[in-house]
Amino acid sequence: MSDAIIEVSGLSHTYMKGTPMARKALTDVNVVINRGELVAIIGRTGSGKSTLVQHFNGLLRPDSGHVKVDGRDIWARGVSLRDVRRRIGLVFQYPEHQLFEETVEADIAFAPRSMGMTPVQVDEAVRDAMRIADLDYDSLRGRSPFELSGGQKRRVAMAGVLAMGPEVLVLDEPTAGMDPRGREEVLSEIAALHGKHGYTIVLVSHSMEDVARFAQRLIVMDHGTVVMEGASHEVFRERDALVGMGLGVPQVTSLICELRAMGHELPGDVITVEQAVEVLAPMLGAAGRGGDRV
Amino acid sequence: MEPIIRIENVSYTYEGGEQDQVEALLDVNVRVDAGVFVAVIGHNGSGKSTLAKHMNAILLPTRGDVYVLGMNTRDRSMLWNIRQTVGMVFQNPDNQIVATTVEEDVAFGPENLGVPPHEIRRRVDEALTLVDMRGYEQAGPHQLSGGQKQRVAIAGVIAMRPKCIVLDEPTAMLDPVGRQEVLRTVRRLASEEGITVVHITHFMSEAVMADRVIVMDDGRIALDGGPREVFSSPDALRRLQLDVPQVTELAFELSRRGVKMPRTPLTVKELAEDVDALLSGRYAR
Repeated sequence: MSDAIIEVSGLSHTYMKGTPMARKALTDVNVVINRGELVAIIGRTGSGKSTLVQHFNGLLRPDSGHVKVDGRDIWARGVSLRDVRRRIGLVFQYPEHQLFEETVEADIAFAPRSMGMTPVQVDEAVRDAMRIADLDYDSLRGRSPFELSGGQKRRVAMAGVLAMGPEVLVLDEPTAGMDPRGREEVLSEIAALHGKHGYTIVLVSHSMEDVARFAQRLIVMDHGTVVMEGASHEVFRERDALVGMGLGVPQVTSLICELRAMGHELPGDVITVEQAVEVLAPMLGAAGRGGDRV
Repeated sequence: MEPIIRIENVSYTYEGGEQDQVEALLDVNVRVDAGVFVAVIGHNGSGKSTLAKHMNAILLPTRGDVYVLGMNTRDRSMLWNIRQTVGMVFQNPDNQIVATTVEEDVAFGPENLGVPPHEIRRRVDEALTLVDMRGYEQAGPHQLSGGQKQRVAIAGVIAMRPKCIVLDEPTAMLDPVGRQEVLRTVRRLASEEGITVVHITHFMSEAVMADRVIVMDDGRIALDGGPREVFSSPDALRRLQLDVPQVTELAFELSRRGVKMPRTPLTVKELAEDVDALLSGRYAR
């Protein structure tokens, strides 16, 4: 049986409710995040994905519906939202814009310190967070966060969330605006957080290629509702529907689709370059050897 | 013929205090000929934006010279002519719209040039048509998406009738839909309007559509050629920490395993054709 850590049921949310500017962002959303999984939420801008994840730790309050963490409604009497926010760590878009301290160490220490940890505990939390985020403590702790590379800045911002000791990390567009080097750096960090350190990860992303490489399960949002859900290779089978929503599929998935349409017998669940190589190499390898006889 | 942009032995050093000198460009030479669509790629810190800012005298070289249609960018008296020849669009969609409505914003440049009102009207309409933003004349910037804002910024430049437009990572902060909108516009400028386009980006998939790709690394030009030529050295691109389109990478992996790929594919359609031909050849045998 799956082990739910976050359960969202019947969730609706309207921004500026009761004003002429009211805008419905979520309608009757039902979503479960299981412990230990890496799940991605995809959808175009305005589809409601950022609104949804801000409900996961109680940053927004539902108009109707429930958000449960470990089976307890986070808006029920007696539940500490502070505790919920510690356990469900949310890393916003462009998190490096929120760095403000003079040193890397002080910036990462900010949250644990304001949670009331003792100096010794804070120090330990900072060291742990930097180790987990693969940031060298000795050489980086005294540096200004503003003089680091883009990828490092973003990992410092992530370490600031890790220092609170969360169980779930929700990352909203963690690679937005980064060059390929920074993107690789942040993505391999996320893979390590999940694989090596066992965090439950919710990834909000525009990049189908990234999602295909890392996520086990996809939740697709459109116009404030969940329209598709399932294993990544199953969801990417629905190429036309995804394109219709302003999304896409990885290039290799499109390629295999085109080849199938040309009448070639190929599996319909190829979503990464590695898988495509595995499928095509043997078929073409024979053709290649045939050519060698000439 | 004098190229639109001629960059000769240009070095540029950012002065950030005594110790903080950053050599952003090192002895760079580039000619951009009229009517060509050039993509400049490179990772952050490679010097690509610094190079772009030399193209209309936002930055002046520390050493060397930049000529725009033969005008040296150091010549202050030519600044207006230079900026009118080469227009620039920047990365952040929220920093570029200065007026309260779309049409006022697009009219801003020509008004400053002293263009007569009826001519301004015509130019604004034309520019907004070109970027697919007719119907938004009265809209305020807050009512626009990122992609729409960038297209308005492009219209503002077009209304000045430049011969060349330099776009400094115009898609970096946009979602995939916004990116597609802006790329469609950029492509149209190059192919239908005959405007010389210099498109700075770190998305390799955007460089595929250019006539020429310049890869910057460490303040120097690392690779320069047609997209197929540049993309056919994936090892070099990987060393420069740039990614190649998935189909190009896939073709490269297949050829490493002994498959004879007929070309370096740049698009899904090209690779599908090639693989289809290979597979069908075998079936026919």
